Amino acid sequence: MAKLVKTEAVVEGRTEERWTLVEEDATPEWADGAVTGPVGRPATRLTAAARLSGAARYTSDVRLPGQLETLVLRSPHANARLVSLQLDAARAVPGVRCAIGPDDAPSFDGQPILTDRPTFAGAAVAAVAADSSAAAAAGLAALSPEWEPLGFVTDMERALERQDFLEPPSEDERGDVEAGLKAAATVIECEYLAPAQLHNSMEPHCAVADWRPDGLTMWSSTQAIYQARSQLSTVFEIDPDRVRVICEYMGGGFGSKFGCGPEGILAAELSRRCRRPVRLVFSRRDENLAAGFRTPARLSMTIGADRDGALVAIEASAVMGMGSGGWGYPILEPIKSLYACPNLHTMLLPVRQNLGPAAAFRAPGVMEGTWAFEQALDELALELQIDPLELRRRNHTATDPSDGRPYTSKRLLESYTKAAELAGWASRDELRGDGRIRRGMGCASQYWWGGGGPPAYADVRIGASAKPVLTVGLQDLGTGAITACAVVAAERLGVAVSDITVRAGDTDLAGHGPFSGGSMTLASIAPAVRAAAHHVRTQLLDLASDMFEIAASDLELVDGEVRSADGTLRRPIHDVTEKLDNAWVTGSGSRAPNPQGLAVNTFGCQIAQVAVDTLTGLVTVERIVAVHDVGRIVNPMGARSQVIGGILQGIGFALTEERVVDPTTGTVLNPGFEDYKVPTIADLPDVVCEFVGEPDPKLALGVKGLGEPPIIPTPGSIGNAIAHALGLRLREAPYTPRRVLEALEQR
Amino acid sequence: MRTFVYIRPSSPAEADSALSGAGARAMGGGTDLLTQQDRGIFPARALVDLRGLQLNGIDEHDGGLRIGATATLAQVAAHDGVGTRFAVLREAAAAAASPQLREMGTVAGNLCQQVRCWYFRHPDLTCWLRGGDTCYAQIGDHRKHGLEPGDCISVAPSDLAAALLALDATVETNRRPEGFPLLELYRKADEGNRSTLALSDGEYLTAVNLRRVPDASAYERAGERHAWSFALSAVAAARFGDELRLAAIGVSNLPRLLDPADPLAGLPGLDQTGWKRGLLTGLAEQAATRAG
Amino acid sequence: MPPVANLLIGFADMRISLNVNDQTHALDVEDHESLADVLRTHLELTGTKVACGEGTCGSCTVLVDGTAVLSCLTLAVACDQAAVRTVESGGPLLERLQRAFTDDDAFQCGFCTPGQLMSAVALLERTPNPDHAEIVRAMSGNLCRCGAYEGIGLAVARAAREVE
Repeated sequence: MAKLVKTEAVVEGRTEERWTLVEEDATPEWADGAVTGPVGRPATRLTAAARLSGAARYTSDVRLPGQLETLVLRSPHANARLVSLQLDAARAVPGVRCAIGPDDAPSFDGQPILTDRPTFAGAAVAAVAADSSAAAAAGLAALSPEWEPLGFVTDMERALERQDFLEPPSEDERGDVEAGLKAAATVIECEYLAPAQLHNSMEPHCAVADWRPDGLTMWSSTQAIYQARSQLSTVFEIDPDRVRVICEYMGGGFGSKFGCGPEGILAAELSRRCRRPVRLVFSRRDENLAAGFRTPARLSMTIGADRDGALVAIEASAVMGMGSGGWGYPILEPIKSLYACPNLHTMLLPVRQNLGPAAAFRAPGVMEGTWAFEQALDELALELQIDPLELRRRNHTATDPSDGRPYTSKRLLESYTKAAELAGWASRDELRGDGRIRRGMGCASQYWWGGGGPPAYADVRIGASAKPVLTVGLQDLGTGAITACAVVAAERLGVAVSDITVRAGDTDLAGHGPFSGGSMTLASIAPAVRAAAHHVRTQLLDLASDMFEIAASDLELVDGEVRSADGTLRRPIHDVTEKLDNAWVTGSGSRAPNPQGLAVNTFGCQIAQVAVDTLTGLVTVERIVAVHDVGRIVNPMGARSQVIGGILQGIGFALTEERVVDPTTGTVLNPGFEDYKVPTIADLPDVVCEFVGEPDPKLALGVKGLGEPPIIPTPGSIGNAIAHALGLRLREAPYTPRRVLEALEQR
Repeated sequence: MRTFVYIRPSSPAEADSALSGAGARAMGGGTDLLTQQDRGIFPARALVDLRGLQLNGIDEHDGGLRIGATATLAQVAAHDGVGTRFAVLREAAAAAASPQLREMGTVAGNLCQQVRCWYFRHPDLTCWLRGGDTCYAQIGDHRKHGLEPGDCISVAPSDLAAALLALDATVETNRRPEGFPLLELYRKADEGNRSTLALSDGEYLTAVNLRRVPDASAYERAGERHAWSFALSAVAAARFGDELRLAAIGVSNLPRLLDPADPLAGLPGLDQTGWKRGLLTGLAEQAATRAG
Repeated sequence: MPPVANLLIGFADMRISLNVNDQTHALDVEDHESLADVLRTHLELTGTKVACGEGTCGSCTVLVDGTAVLSCLTLAVACDQAAVRTVESGGPLLERLQRAFTDDDAFQCGFCTPGQLMSAVALLERTPNPDHAEIVRAMSGNLCRCGAYEGIGLAVARAAREVE
């Protein structure tokens, strides 16, 4: 029976209340810890054939008859007034079908999509749609904009001086910090500077819009097809059921691609005007000027501890450079929640700058907050002469320090033990050496949400061929969630994972699915998939029961066969389904809420081993031991890949990635891969990856999220390892050759 | 915007004719030239592809080596004669750019590439070197720039230039087939002429010539990550008997011969580049030791 | 060849002959068009991806006469009479690599993967039995933001082993 219930969900640290439609779910839970069928065994990706052959159609590959190409005029100035724009000249260029400026485009999220008052270099001002890219380029050149440049502030500290906040500063407090610090045996003070990290998904933001009299179809490189649908429906005032959003394959997002984005609105507006399909693909430069970034931050901490290292009080503040958008990501959350500490006061100061809007980036806030806090903790450990891992153990908390709620599960202490053992932590001082190359080892912990929740729906059908089709309202970023869903369905249906076809990435196909973000996707959708598959299973067993005259309760589906409990019957499932002809057995499932009153978090520990070349300043991450508690592992192969991927982006943050803004002109100086350096295959460390999390007993299927957790401890562990290697601490990331050499010189 | 026509001459006469047109620029692999065009840097009306001139041979001659201008970096790095007698050149060719760019990029293109300065390459700025009034780097962010004050503080990027300078190579052009020392290929840009290349209109490289075989040579390079990074600084060393030749890139406007006794001479450093002084000293020591 | 003045008459299409994946095409291309655009637009071979358009990421890697090059920085007109191979080309070596990429989970979003595969084909055609350092060197011009590098290295080694 369907019902509407009110639920709470934690999305990247923000609690949201939602009404959700749920069905009663009679699926039996997996026995605690039991590995059943394909669950927990390595499965190769179902998308492999399409993605490896070049056949997978990404949004930027979509080519419809009569499709136009779009280019966007962007402000070269960090703050300016548009004085004039030659739209008619652009329209007169051969091949140009449409040129629109600030007066012609709709608003989105309260912001004009095209503006005559650009407040950052890269802000969209006008757009030209034409028969070819070359014609669009000629049209763009004909726009001949004139500007009146205005004063700007890109520097975070200057923005703070001016008290120009994107969101009001916010405070959080528990206990009495002043008294706590006074009573502490040791107090350390430190300040860390985090860079702006740029997402740089390989596929840039892009959209293809096909506006027709009966509705709008949009191909979008998005992490959230349903959010895209809602946004398009709202902006263009059309019935959501007349908006179809398709994302068959996408080339990464990492938090920067929620909803339809301004590119989607612009493409739709141009398609509406031209009555032709319109494609808009960001350039790499557009991507890095206007499509989001991890917020740079200055974190200041005063930490008091008793003689044994127990945290007594923490005073912390974070200035975050938001540019012109985004929200106050939970950068202080690790300080509040990673360890027990009775007295705490924090302040978040999200400042506005003449830069593009910030966007969530894999563990937004939490990664950089952890990077700073976990190094501060090592500073404390050094001060107190306590082993860093031991210091963390001593401050372990069994309940959420903010509100006292117990966790659904927590195996952080186990992850310390396991990681220490695998890394050879006990003999880490022997690594160091005193020649040109110095080695060191450092650790950091991890804390994230990712319990998932409703709404999420799935449909399963099986026809005569006995090859099930699973339909989910997901989009495939490349995380492996699609394959993991098939694993979950395969277990119920007794078929091979590779026999399942998954249809996804189309709002016309399936019930509402979760966005791909917040490490919530699989935890949200998997229970719905299992319930849908279970309904189909029940019906198949009923059919088999009739056919073979054995009670359904004595039958099971295993390895493509219907088998009786006594072993006398073994027949292919196909024998049951073949009589369906063109009919299907179908089943639907929905996601029920998580238990209330419990905190759902992931935990883990990483230990990094680095080698620092004191001549060139180049840091090599030689090894990362990653031990995470993320609940049940559905597909260990995909899980390991997620962990390594997170680690590599963490290495990028720690060692090479940093947006550089010109102080004189306010423009971004490194909006391409030449000067913005992401890790290459030569930067890959040896990775030891283990999971200590048993299936979470309180959660549906025992699954917690995995997308974000692995990036969180990586940069902090590297910072601590460098400090161990060199005996000095770098408090500004990334740890480039320049910063390493400058630090060595100053010593 | 790309506003050029493409011309692929198949004889020196055709090349001379094509390059005599206004706005014609000589092209090798095109990897630098095309990115310049896309950013509006020195827009060309014609790109004259010299790869049809059969200038890509690497020929041995009485102990030396003559490397054609359009030989690729990959060819140079893989050549036995280079590897066995001119280690510094092999190391430099193999360290430059990425594998694909080494397959595409030519020796002449590498030597003649423009600076990688992020202001020079910026599509919205016209810096001093591009003919404007301002060296934005001096008043802005020059953390990766040079140690030498001047009108332009960007740095020579060519790995091959460092190696070939240490090897005392000569350069041959269509106008000067007899050749001249590599250092004379470069000039300081000045108020009247912002080019860093001392080539006349229509002049293009045909070969580089290595006449002297060093007793030992080595390349020491610092990059921003473990692969595919322009050199922050690099030092090439070649020893010919008692003579040690050290050449550096990444520290000054032009490839630079260093005084082994005082590699930092004339390189005081700028506000944000002092860190390169220690780096250069270290690389020079290391390269000299390896060329021991 | 005519004098240059006659060549500077505008942007008329140039007729080139391009052999792509064993099929010869006569194509009219403009001087400024990149090989990547011609493959993706004229021939609708969209397996080749453009992620940066400025020669820095390797996503658009294809083989031209057996050499791995960046198709975004290659002018199509310069490829007259050339043989081009893309991820759509098939063949035993590419298929072996595709199987190995599957088995070693050597991709996530898959956008850089066609370029990775073509760099790997180029490597294994010249160096059938590369060691780890040679694999890392040959693949270092292909960026993967998802960070599938471990799988990529293993898959190239696996495909090489299976050739033997």
